[in-house]
Formats: sequence, C-alpha cells, structure tokens
Amino acid sequence: MFKDSPVRTGARASTIMTAVLAPVEGAVVALSVAPDPVFAAGMVGPGSAIDPARRPGRAVSPITGRIIKLHPHAYVVVGDDGRGVLVHLGINTVQLRGEGFELLASEGDRVAAGQPVVAWDPAVIEATGRSPVCLVVALDALADSVTDLVRGPVLAGDELFRWG
Amino acid sequence: MPERKVIVESEVGLHARPAALFVQTAAKAFIEVTVAKGAGEPVNAKSILSVLALDVRQGEAIVIRAEGEGADALLDELAAIAAAS
Repeated sequence: MFKDSPVRTGARASTIMTAVLAPVEGAVVALSVAPDPVFAAGMVGPGSAIDPARRPGRAVSPITGRIIKLHPHAYVVVGDDGRGVLVHLGINTVQLRGEGFELLASEGDRVAAGQPVVAWDPAVIEATGRSPVCLVVALDALADSVTDLVRGPVLAGDELFRWG
Repeated sequence: MPERKVIVESEVGLHARPAALFVQTAAKAFIEVTVAKGAGEPVNAKSILSVLALDVRQGEAIVIRAEGEGADALLDELAAIAAAS
C-alpha cells in the first residue's frame, strides 16, 4: 500500500525463507538508529525498528510458532524450524513492570503470524519518558541472512523483512 | 569442568542487553560454553535464543561452564558480565 512491492519470482521457493511481519503499526526505521546502543549495533541480532503510531494498538506475532517467552514489554516466538524472533516494545520498558501493557496470549501458546499478543499504547509509554520504538530481531541470525527490509509506513501484520 | 556460579545482578536479569553482551562474549571463544539456571539443564551460551529462553531474573543464580584453552579467562569474563548491575 505504502511501498513499491518488487515482483517476486519463484526463484527462492526451494530455500527456507521466513517472512517476518511488523508487530505494530508505524514507520519502519533502521535498527541502527534505535535509541539503544546494544540493539542498534546488532548485538542482539539483525532486524528492524518501528517508530509506532501513537495510539492504542495490539502488537502481533511476527511469525507463526510458539511463544516461548512472554513479558508485558517483550516476547519471543519460535517457529517450527527453530528460528526465534524477539519483539521488544519500547526501550527500558522492563522498568514499567507491565504498566501500560495487557497480555492477549499466554507463554507457551501457539500463535499464527499476525495474531495479537500484547495490547499497548505507545503514547502512554512515551509519557513515561521512554522511547516506544518497537524492535524486531532475528535471534542467532547472521547479519546478511536478513533481507528485503521494508522502510516507511507499515500496518501491524505487513511484511517487515525476510530471513533466509 | 571449570565453572562459575554467579548471581545475576542486573535489574533486567539476563535479558536483552546483558544477554547480548554475554552471548557475544561467549561466541568469540573457540571452545564450548554452557549456561544453566541454578541446577537446571545447561544450554548453549553462544545462542541468544537459548539464553533469553532461560529467563534468568535479577537475583537468580546461573552456572557457566567451559572446558579447554582459555576456559578460565573466558569464564571470569562471562561471570563479570552476568554479575554486573
């Protein structure tokens, strides 16, 4: 809708390729400009960052799999192929101890890509003086295995990047 | 096997940032390194997914193990990261 979608051929059909979806609505920026030096350096893994729309929303699962860790401010979903994606809602938001977040799923649940996991309001997070930027990271991934990174506006559930 | 028992002091536990530093340090070593929560099952200390899945909170104990060349120096370095507040 907001971007030019390149025409995809079947050239990659034989390789394992995980489409990672945007957990939240907002503007996609490079992970390297995330206001957190460790995430920005790619030390947690390669991925993307989303400056979220400042209105109440529901953060969705970026892939189909099982929620192996669920905190109010962060969750990890692992697909059947063993690949894990971390979604971190805001910076230093662990300090909020769940304030401003509502769990919509449980740890251990199987979820489909795009299924809501946590309800939150980025404006409430921002009002506490913290950045509400949403970080989406491919765990244990090589930096060059993450491709087709989308930039600009996305809706929750839009494709964000590919993990090959 | 050389090991270190450490209480994790970081407010966030062994999560995003401390976990990333811990895993990146372990991953630089050529020897195998494991980390376990308390008496639990050891996991690969070079995997951020495994370390995040351990879900170590502030005040919890971990056991880091490694064997081979440079194991003691590596364990000291990892223990210092885990114990940092």
